[in-house]
Amino acid sequence: MDIQLKRGLLDVCVLAAIKNEDSYGYKIIKDVKPYIVLSESTLYTILKRLEAADMLTVRSAEHDGRLRKYYRITDSGRERIEDFKRDWKEITDIYRFVTREEYRNE
Amino acid sequence: MNKQEFLSALEKGLAGLPKDDVSERLGFYGELIDDGVEEGLTEAEAVEALGPIGEIVTQTVAQTPLKKLVRERVKRRRGLKGWQTALIILGSPVWLPLAAAAFAVLLSLYIVLWALLISLWAIFLSFAVSAAAAAAAGVVQLFRGQTLQGLALMGAGLLLAGLSIFLFFGCAAASRGVVRLTGKIALWIKSLFVGKENNYEE
Repeated sequence: MDIQLKRGLLDVCVLAAIKNEDSYGYKIIKDVKPYIVLSESTLYTILKRLEAADMLTVRSAEHDGRLRKYYRITDSGRERIEDFKRDWKEITDIYRFVTREEYRNE
Repeated sequence: MNKQEFLSALEKGLAGLPKDDVSERLGFYGELIDDGVEEGLTEAEAVEALGPIGEIVTQTVAQTPLKKLVRERVKRRRGLKGWQTALIILGSPVWLPLAAAAFAVLLSLYIVLWALLISLWAIFLSFAVSAAAAAAAGVVQLFRGQTLQGLALMGAGLLLAGLSIFLFFGCAAASRGVVRLTGKIALWIKSLFVGKENNYEE
């Protein structure tokens, strides 16, 4: 997959993983991995980028006698997901245009 | 490898990055290992799931902006002892020209690479143009009644066209190679700043 496209998709996937409830590193990877390749160091970079862009917030909470970092989506994070859905509608239309010859031949 | 061994090896590998950055990353990986153990993996399995340390270090360096690495390097240099600073300044008439020369040599080698690439494409272009010219001249000769000459020219045109197709693939492959090499050089320059302490065991 194109690197730029994959980067954008990874951002949205990570946001989607924390959309319904706060989550932590291990769980995010487990939730996203079935859909797209996501290495641990890539996740770190994405979380940093999304935090810098105010799309998520981080808090440390105690879990089982140790600290765990939890990530929570912000309003602009949700907005990013909505943008993605709108973009996707456009891309689907373009896809249909690009492949229209193939459909006609079938 | 257990968690502690993994984290200290990773710390060594990331030695060139800012201290805060390193400790935050170590915390991140430590948490992943703890969570893996909580899910029922053994510590060794949880460490193994993170992949080889060398790969983590390479990815991290690739994802860190060069500016950050240089700034960290410069910051560390401030910690030099007085005599070291004096030696660097006094020695500058010697090492500065040497370093500049070494840099110039490396740069010129790199430029030669691109020049080679450009000349390769130029050869391709000349073949393609002469193929078209020979074919056109062949057609003209045929119309003028010079059948033999015309056929010979058209044959030459086809031959040149065939060769230029071969050359095109060669040129394209060489271009891809040079671009890939450029990426590798960029990564290598970055790795210079991460330091020579990268002798972690796998």
